[in-house]
Amino acid sequence: MQKVIQLQNVKKSYNLDNVIVNALNGISFEVNKGELVAIMGPSGSGKSTAMQIIGSLDLPTEGRVFIEDVDITKLSHSNIAQLRGKKVGFIFQTFNLIPSLTALENVTLPMLFQDLNKTKQKQKAKELLALVGLQDRMDHLPPELSGGQRQRVAIARALANDPEIILADEPTGNLDSKTGGEIINLLLELNKKGTTVLIVTHDQNIAKRAKRIITIRDGLIAK
Amino acid sequence: MILEYFKLAVNNITHRKVRSWLTIIGIIIGIASIIALISLSLGLQNSIAEQFESFGSDKILVSAATFQGPGSLSIGLTEKDVETVKKIQEFKVVAPFIAKPGSVEYKGESKFPIIFGGQPKESAELFADTRTLEKGRYLKEGDHYDAILGSRAAKKLFKKEIRINNKIKINGKEFKVVGIFEEVGNQQDDSAISIPLDTFKEIFKSGDQIDFISAQVKPGSNIPEVQKKLERLLKDKRGDENFNVVTPTQILEQISQVLGIVQAVLVGIAAISLVVGGIGIMNSMYTSVLERTRDIGVMKAIGAKDSDILKIFLIESGLMGFVGGIFGVVLGTLLSLGIGQYATEAGFKLLVTINPQLMLFGLFFAFIAGIISGVLPAYRASQLNPVEALRHE
Ligand SMILES: Nc1ncnc2c1ncn2[C@@H]1O[C@H](COP(=O)(O)OP(=O)(O)OP(=O)(O)O)[C@@H](O)[C@H]1O
Ligand SMILES: [Mg+2]
Repeated sequence: MQKVIQLQNVKKSYNLDNVIVNALNGISFEVNKGELVAIMGPSGSGKSTAMQIIGSLDLPTEGRVFIEDVDITKLSHSNIAQLRGKKVGFIFQTFNLIPSLTALENVTLPMLFQDLNKTKQKQKAKELLALVGLQDRMDHLPPELSGGQRQRVAIARALANDPEIILADEPTGNLDSKTGGEIINLLLELNKKGTTVLIVTHDQNIAKRAKRIITIRDGLIAK
Repeated sequence: MILEYFKLAVNNITHRKVRSWLTIIGIIIGIASIIALISLSLGLQNSIAEQFESFGSDKILVSAATFQGPGSLSIGLTEKDVETVKKIQEFKVVAPFIAKPGSVEYKGESKFPIIFGGQPKESAELFADTRTLEKGRYLKEGDHYDAILGSRAAKKLFKKEIRINNKIKINGKEFKVVGIFEEVGNQQDDSAISIPLDTFKEIFKSGDQIDFISAQVKPGSNIPEVQKKLERLLKDKRGDENFNVVTPTQILEQISQVLGIVQAVLVGIAAISLVVGGIGIMNSMYTSVLERTRDIGVMKAIGAKDSDILKIFLIESGLMGFVGGIFGVVLGTLLSLGIGQYATEAGFKLLVTINPQLMLFGLFFAFIAGIISGVLPAYRASQLNPVEALRHE
């Protein structure tokens, strides 16, 4: 099995006004290509921090992180950005769409930063929006969409550059259980097509649908 | 790709319409004032150059050291000096003049224009190639109570227009109008009235006083040399240095110098307003970066490099500068044309022309000002830590 993600003794501490907060105290795990992993744990245990480090949004204070055998702690700023845009698709609890851009433009944006062919970009974005069932909402601005619809746009955006890995940090946290269920189904479908998916969740029912659960407690992996 | 960034920048600007416009207005004011001031001073330069051309570049002007212009009190030059000037062989014409404000009456109305006294034959020769007549004739030998009017003196000074052969009263004496000059473009000359020197002396009782002597050199003479020679001779004969000998070129140079300083000061003031406009852009951009901190985090999370963020924000500020530049250039040009028109109507011929180079310069300048004002905020935006930016509320 090919390893897509490897964390080796990753520590992360934040310096808040000279108070050191240890968010991760040395976690190591590997995720194989095509896996579906649920990450659980109490609030403040370091789940989001771990996701940010896996997604190369932040660098660990100590330890090493490999994405498909590339040690991201050794990459330059712009190479990290490039890799992040190409290999990782983020889905956030708060959707994080750009409010002044239409659904279509939001989905096109990641391709723009990868310098892809322009006409292909638009075509691809339309296909992705159709995939998440929003073909008739393409020219709407995020404030004109419901929470569930916004999260669908976010999923379409995360898929824009055909990433290896989808990182979803409490993707259903702001949605009712029915809409949340639909979003989870969408993510499961993507996983079936071969994308590696990591979902942070507090919901046991969602976690049960994953073949593997990693529990983080106080910045460490709980056995 | 730049085109896409351009779209993003336009999107950012148009989503904060009011603030964007307020920011752009700052640049508009700055550029408009720079354009207006530069075109006005160019116009002023044109007008002055044109007037000196009409005076003639082959003439030398002698005046008393205290001579400040027609009408001011001047002592020093007399008929004796005229004789001295005539001794120089290189002069073709030597024409003494005297000027004072006089009371002029026409159809019951009284005004006080400047009256010039000059020898009819000499002044006619002097004017032959520089001041053309609109109607009538120059003064000639044998004229006494005859006058030539500036175009403004004839048409605008009195409620009723004065025409050829009309009678006017100067200092109570009746004169016949024999000629009317074409407009030269400065109010003073256009409002003046010329009469024979002898008649002038008679009605003003000015004795043998002379205000200035205008002398035309023969073709091919070396003007600066003639000027030096004349200075030496006058100093010799008079025993003092209480006189000025200047050539039109010299006067033009002096005026240009003064004008240059005035221009520099005005443009400096305009530049300050542009800097203020730039600070406005900077302020707006900082606010924009702050407002969109989260968006910046999002863009980084989906693969934007630091340089991408930098580009987007720089394009945005440059674009605001450019838009401000367009409006500023148009406004500044209209303003200067309007002022030029107004001045010309009021009697001071101000030749303001549309200057494409200046307009391009204004546009470019506004764009650069926008970019420069955007550098710091854009750099700051590009350096934001994505995780912290995403946590921003
Ligand atoms: N940018 C930061 N600056 C300072 N401290 C931080 C920062 N990010 C996270 N922390 C701290 O690190 C710890 C782990 O935070 P994290 O967000 O990873 O928790 P979490 O497991 O995602 O919690 P939740 O389930 O509530 O989302 C917390 O104590 C948090 O206060
Ligand atoms: Mg979290």
